[in-house]
This record gives sequence, structure tokens and C-alpha cells, in this order.
Amino acid sequence: MSYRFPSHDPEPLYSFTSESLGKPTVSRNGWSVYSSKRPIMTADEIDRATARIGIPMPEMIFGKNYIVVAHESGWSLGFNAVDALDLVVKHGNPEGGLVKVAYSEAWMNDKKKTSDEVHQVVKPFDWTYTTSYQGTPAPSKVTWEPTSQSIPLDKLRRPDPILFFEEVVLFEDELGDNGIAMAEVKVRVMEERLLLLCRLFVRVDDVLFRIRDTRLFIEFEDNTILREYTVKQDSYENVKRKIPHSARDSGLFLRDANWIAEKMPVIQTVTEKSALSSS
Amino acid sequence: MSDLISGGSIDLDSCIERLYRREKLAESVVEALCTKAKELLIKESNVIHIKAPVSVVGDIHGQFFDLIELFRVGGFPPNTNYLFLGDYVDRGYFSIETMTLLTCLKLRYPNRIYLVRGNHESRGISQNYGFYSECKAKYGNVNVWNCFTDMFDYLTLSVVIDDRIFCIHGGLSPNVHSIDQIKVVDRFKEIPHEGPMADLVWSDPDPEKEDFGISTRGAGYTFGAEIVKKFLHVNDMVHILRAHQLCEQGFQVLFDDRLSTVWSAPNYCYRCGNLASVLEVSATGERFFNVFDAAPENEEYRQQQEQHNTMTEYFL
Repeated sequence: MSYRFPSHDPEPLYSFTSESLGKPTVSRNGWSVYSSKRPIMTADEIDRATARIGIPMPEMIFGKNYIVVAHESGWSLGFNAVDALDLVVKHGNPEGGLVKVAYSEAWMNDKKKTSDEVHQVVKPFDWTYTTSYQGTPAPSKVTWEPTSQSIPLDKLRRPDPILFFEEVVLFEDELGDNGIAMAEVKVRVMEERLLLLCRLFVRVDDVLFRIRDTRLFIEFEDNTILREYTVKQDSYENVKRKIPHSARDSGLFLRDANWIAEKMPVIQTVTEKSALSSS
Repeated sequence: MSDLISGGSIDLDSCIERLYRREKLAESVVEALCTKAKELLIKESNVIHIKAPVSVVGDIHGQFFDLIELFRVGGFPPNTNYLFLGDYVDRGYFSIETMTLLTCLKLRYPNRIYLVRGNHESRGISQNYGFYSECKAKYGNVNVWNCFTDMFDYLTLSVVIDDRIFCIHGGLSPNVHSIDQIKVVDRFKEIPHEGPMADLVWSDPDPEKEDFGISTRGAGYTFGAEIVKKFLHVNDMVHILRAHQLCEQGFQVLFDDRLSTVWSAPNYCYRCGNLASVLEVSATGERFFNVFDAAPENEEYRQQQEQHNTMTEYFL
């Protein structure tokens, strides 16, 4: 099995073999989950990642964290920070325009009045780090096709014993204290199936909320592989309005990605299926 | 009234002793401390001149156990002089304990402890990033938050060590060429979104740039190598010392040793795994980053608090 992954070596991206992923943390019916939880990247590592990806890196980048779901046949899908950041819109305007902080217009106007110097405007990129990342597949082993199937929530709601649970942060940025951008991956493995959720959560204070969820579902018995990608977005005001009137501290709600995710309209959902190669 | 106040005077030594044990002080005591602190801070200039030796501390963000660890590593006041560069509150679990302790230390040793204002020492930011919620949770109301945020308006903006090292929370401003321009700022107010006061607590160095740049977020400045050189030249200084940005190794030195960032919150937000440091400036002007790791009490506290949250595990 090989897996593209940012390594600790000077070169930023590598092909990884099963040896370098280490021992799986859990295995079930030919399926294995590998995970790693390490400190944020060092200044040198950040410099290399910045050079490769071409945008300023988030303040907290857990470049050595990952969760990989792999089958012994060679099929795998992994999640890591560098590949996720590689899909952030790097130049010019992302769809719907570049987000600006709430007080940007006032700031720009005041600046014109008070400072006489000419300033270079930095090259624009999507500083909210919104990424459409849906995982890094094993090269040439993974194909997806559309399906009308959906992830069987009824099976996942059952309180089946959890054999393994892990949660790793990929990156986080405080948006210069204008909100938060956070990408996090969770996985839970039960006797008969597993569910992985990779969630990007963005809050720009007084402007908007965004969620991008990628769910990977695997049924061990028949090797059903489903991936669901969901886009949610709403204005800050709309979400704020849904805070219960009895709430003593609205701030707690606006920091709770799970609560917010339930209150936001779905803009787009795509479900795809994959299969193990027959060879 | 509390036993810590009698005849209008506060028993600071007892307050400090209790705070070192992470005991919460009564609301009335906090209120009295903030009033006293305002009376003291109002006399301080926007640019305070101090002498080395002094140990300079970056962001703490309510990581109380790590502040105590910093004292263990760098010496407890008043045996060591301290200059704190702001961001005392928000994000960590103990903003109240951290801020109350620093206020007491400032009152007890006014010429050995200096507190500079950070961008989190404001109503707007601390309402959203933890301090406000913590006050509500621990005192049941926001009186303490009101007292502290009123006091924040009195904190100084900058310190100069031995006429050679310029210290601020964030960075330089296109509206500030000489430090005399800082002295005339009306600082006794909420941090505005724009202007020299905002820039001093918000701006960041950009090692890729020469000049000032505008942040891609649409507000705020970055400043480059040429700006740093020019500022030091005009003001006849050798170094700029600031905090405000997370550094994995606890510190970062830029622009040919003309600017340092000091970061004092190890394992930031209890998950980053980074180191922290305190920058010790000796009487002869040498700079030494004393690096330290997270206090062991953090882990003990986490284990005490941990309730197995099955809701998290059964995510959908």
C-alpha cells in the first residue's frame, strides 16, 4: 500500500508505504485504521509547507497528524493537513468573493484618511482556509462513482460498542481574532462498520458560518464504501437568531460547531460509492 | 466584606498567597483591586522606560498553571522583575485567576512588574473568546468582567528597556514613526479598530516583505524588514520585542536579530504541543530565551475534569 503523505524529511510530500504508517491502531475484517497525533509543525516545517502550497499557513498546523482508513487489498483514504490546505483557493477570488472581516470597510476608509503612505496589498487568498478536501486516496486504487445510496444513519445511531475512537485536529486558525477556522477528523470503529467525519468549521465574527463535512462509511461485511460531502453556509445573524432566548451566554453556542451544524441549511450534498479492486 | 480588605486597604500578600493556590477571590475584593489598579495605571505613560535586568513574558491566555511554571523557571516576583506583553485572558481555563494574580503582583510590586495591553485586553475580543464566559460561569454574573475590562483601558501600550529595546504586544504602525507619537495617543478607552493604538496591539511582522502590507483579511497591517530598520534608526534603538504570535519553539527571531517574538503559553489551548519561553534581558543587555514546557498540573487537571463524553464518540 502506498500513501502520499507529508513526511518529516526535508522534502514536503512523499509516497508512504505501509511500514512508514506504523502499526494500525485497530483492524477489522481486512480493514485497518492508522492514526497519529503530534505537536504543531516547527517553523522550518511550516516554511517548507508554505513554499509547497503557496499560501500563508494557518497559525496552528498539525502537519504530522493523520487518520488513514485502509483495506488490505490496497484501497485507502487518508486525511492530513497539508493535502487539505492544498485545496484552499490560493489566488484571487473564491466562489462568492473573498470574505472580509466585519469592520474592513470602516478600516479601509479610515486608513485613507489617516495614513499617507503607499502600501502593498498582499496577494489575496481564501484566508478562511475553506477547503473542499475529501481525503487523500491511495494512488490508482480508489475510484468513486455517483450513487443514490445514503449513509445508513439508523445503523450508526445504534449504541453498538465502540472498539476505537480517535479525533485529530488538522489545522486551526484564529483568523487574527476575527473568528475561527478549524479542520478536524474523527473516526469511530464498531464491530460491523466504521464512520469517519472530516469537518471544516469556519466562523467569521459578525459575517458568516461555514461547514464542510466529509463522511466516510464502511460496512465490513460486504465492503460497502460510501463517501458523503456536505456543504453548509449561513450568515452570522441567521445562526445567532437561533440561540434559545433562555441562553445566558450566547458565546457558548457560537463556539459549538455541533450545535451550529444542526442549525445551518444544507447547500449541497454529494454521495459517492467506491469498491475494492477485484484483483 | 471579605477578610482581605480592612479599613479600605487590601491585604495584597494574602491575596497573592491565595491566588498561588488558585483560589478565587470574592467579587468585592476583585472590584477593589481593579479600582486600586486603575489609580496606579493612570499615572503610567503610554511609553514606560525601565531598566534591565527584566524577564519579558509573551501571551499567557489564561493558562494559569503555565504562568506558575514560568515563575518556577524564571524566578518568583519580586526576586525577578517582569514585563508582561499582554494577552493575559481568553482561550485558557483560568483567565480570572491569571488576571487577578497579575493585578495583585502589579499593585504589590509596581516598579518590578509591568503590564502592557494586548489585543485580548478589550471588551470586544474578551466577550467572544472565553473571559466573559468564564466570569459568568465562575461568578454567576459579569461584574468581574466589567471591572477588569474597565481596568484594561488603563494598561500602558509600550515599554522601552534601557533606551535600547522597544516592547509592544503586536507590532509597528504606519502612523508611528517615533515613539513620541505614541506618547500623545489617548489610550484610556476600548481598543479601536483603526489607528496607532490598534496597530500596536494587532500588527504582525512579515519576513517576506520590506514595507507595510495590508492583511489579506481586509483589516490590519503587516510590517517588513525596512520598516523595522527605519524605526530602530529613527528612535536610536537596537531591537523590537513583541508577542502576539504562536511560535512552536516558544520564540522566533527575525530581520537579522532586530525583532523577537516571545510566546509564553506552552501547549497552547491544551492541544498544540508547542514550547514556551520567557526572554531574560540581562543588566548588560544580553537576551536569553529561557524555554519551558507545559506544567504537569495541566494533565492532572484534565484527568480530574474528564468525563467520558459518549456523545462525542457517537458522532454522526
